[in-house]
Amino acid sequence: MRGTPVRGLIPLVVLLVLWEVLGDPASPYFPPPSTWVDGVSPLVESDRLLPAIGDTSLTFVLGLFIATVLGSLVGTLVGASRPVDRALSPSLEFLRALPAASLVPVAALVLGYTAQMKLVVVVLPAMWPILLTCRSARRSLSPVLLDTPRTLGLSGWDRMTKVLTPALLPAVLLGVRVAAPLALIITLLVEIVTRVNGLGAALGAAQSSFLSAQVYGLLTIAGVLGFVVNWVVTRAETAVSRRMRGTT
Amino acid sequence: MISCDDLSVTLPGANGPVNILSGVHLRVAKGEFVSVLGTSGSGKTTLLRVLGGLQSATGGRITCDGVDIAGPPDGVVTVFQDYAHSLLPWRTVRRNVALGIEKLDKTERDSRVDEALAMVGLSERDGEYPWRLSGGMQQRVQIARALAMRPRVLLMDEPFGALDAMTKASLQDQLQQVAELTGTTVVFVTHDVEEAVYLSDRLVVLSGSPANIGLSLDVPLPRPRDQIATKERADYLELRHEVYAALGHKVGERASG
Amino acid sequence: MAERVNVLGAAVFVFGLGLWELLVRTGLLTFTYLPPPSEVAVGLGELLGNGELGTALGHTLFAALTGWAVAGLVGVAAGSVLGLVRPVWTYSMASLEALRALPIVAFVPVAVLLFGFSVQTEIMVAFYAALWPILLNTINGMRTEGRLVETGRVLKLSRAAVLWKIQLPAATATIVVGLRLGLSTSLVLTLVAEMVGNPAGLGFLLVTKGQALQPGQMFAAVFVIGVTGIILNGLVMGAARLAFRGQLASAGEA
Repeated sequence: MRGTPVRGLIPLVVLLVLWEVLGDPASPYFPPPSTWVDGVSPLVESDRLLPAIGDTSLTFVLGLFIATVLGSLVGTLVGASRPVDRALSPSLEFLRALPAASLVPVAALVLGYTAQMKLVVVVLPAMWPILLTCRSARRSLSPVLLDTPRTLGLSGWDRMTKVLTPALLPAVLLGVRVAAPLALIITLLVEIVTRVNGLGAALGAAQSSFLSAQVYGLLTIAGVLGFVVNWVVTRAETAVSRRMRGTT
Repeated sequence: MISCDDLSVTLPGANGPVNILSGVHLRVAKGEFVSVLGTSGSGKTTLLRVLGGLQSATGGRITCDGVDIAGPPDGVVTVFQDYAHSLLPWRTVRRNVALGIEKLDKTERDSRVDEALAMVGLSERDGEYPWRLSGGMQQRVQIARALAMRPRVLLMDEPFGALDAMTKASLQDQLQQVAELTGTTVVFVTHDVEEAVYLSDRLVVLSGSPANIGLSLDVPLPRPRDQIATKERADYLELRHEVYAALGHKVGERASG
Repeated sequence: MAERVNVLGAAVFVFGLGLWELLVRTGLLTFTYLPPPSEVAVGLGELLGNGELGTALGHTLFAALTGWAVAGLVGVAAGSVLGLVRPVWTYSMASLEALRALPIVAFVPVAVLLFGFSVQTEIMVAFYAALWPILLNTINGMRTEGRLVETGRVLKLSRAAVLWKIQLPAATATIVVGLRLGLSTSLVLTLVAEMVGNPAGLGFLLVTKGQALQPGQMFAAVFVIGVTGIILNGLVMGAARLAFRGQLASAGEA
């Protein structure tokens, strides 16, 4: 993140070098980093790696998008009215308490081992952070800001697009920043558990065939994916909220 | 009591080091109430932090009772403007006031806390959390916490700057009483001219860049002072004008130069 | 929070259940394996009756809580060092950030690889999952506001007293948040480990009920998992409130 000195990577690098130098290339548990590339190469040669990454990315992006739309709509609605909030909050709280992992077998049974099933499982948990930030942002919106378009005689549509949406956008993005890594984790989780396509399925398959070098290789790829996702959403969030608020 | 000779302070800034204070001479006698006046950014707070041992000087000599100041000296306590960030929000008022004297045995500690709370008129609220109190009361808690240490010197950094006019006046009078009662030396940083004249035995004005002391003025108004009677006196008004003129003159000089 | 019983909210919840029941019974909602709530209740009764639920719940809780507790000790200790000792932070934080980018679930296959189909796999996964939020929250919490530390100096507190009386209490609320997050993630990851690794506990129960096509019992198990999460979170909050009343009250959490 911002301000973390690069010097801090030294322990990790030292560890990896030690692993490489001291590790036994035939170890079934800790194969050294150089073997990871070889471990993954069969997947590349048989043209399975890129489609797997593509599948995971697609589920992740679609899931996050649907979660953003649903989360900000429900969050804004619940934040706008105390009675609605009181009416819905126990049900929402209960749904929120259901761990994502427990939804996987249920969704698989009801919806089958399909791409839709993966999406449903990703959307539900990824929705919460966005819903919650939107709710509190809508709640704490200054009444003056809501009265302003009224005195200016703006239409309902203008009120939505010119005042409400820009005012809530930073909150939505803040929620997305939290939800994005979560959505990626859950995408991988569904794939690992159900073995329906994607990087997670490949990881699970590698583990059950005891291809340890491939497991570590895929883990690294998942890590890079996670890093990219984090970097993009953090950048986007700070850039937009800086423009919206004038500060960070 | 406290003396600075040819004090200078340079701090790292965004565009290289900034010389904040230069050639400051200041003497504060025992029991004296001295105000340091200046516009914002004039280095008042830096001066106070150096006196309190929170910031080291880059040049000159600064002593408290003849001993060089390095780190907060014994018997010198700073009261900050931002009380909300200085009180521990998880401790009650009573336990906040006790924070600096917890090495003492319980009876001694309790009696000091009671005494300090009584001096600022908060005896009734000692079980509450500070964030439940108004801003004025929170600042009283911070002052009580300093008083519980039985300080010889109180260093106050715009302590009433964030308070409304009514609260400010009542805290000024309380501070006046307490200082008189305990004989505590006070160095009081403020940008409020009326406040400085009303409270002080002597006031100094920091000006220039880097800042040094541009004006030093005795305030021979009789004590105890009163918000109405004192402020109607001709000599009070005269002193006030003199300080304003000094500040205005400096501002004009800087604008033209 | 719970100033009054939220009658309206409870009514909506019950209404939702009723609607679900109605839609399934009337055939408006047709999924082959979507049970109506009444069937879920029956399933819950069956699971309770034959003792499966108790055993599975006990196993999952044991694994998740053991991993979480160890993560709590390690995370708070290591986080304090990282948060308080600047050079340690400088020379290791970037490594931690890099490791954190690895999605936690991707470690489940690694753990299965290393520890096999055993309860150790579950405990390791629970430990690793809980470690991150606890560690990072402790590091953040220990970054006490400058003014508070300065207050300690002004009041002549020793370095140890500043740590004990100011920095640790100031970090408490943040650490408790980390512990709560860690508890829920360790529960989730324990379930995953049970689904793909060690055949035991609630995770495995869910999978077997799915394979045996017993949706009633399966939904009942999900319900129990949800309730367990709520109760555990409540217990941690309650314990934290008892132990650190002032700290949490000041953070608006009590």
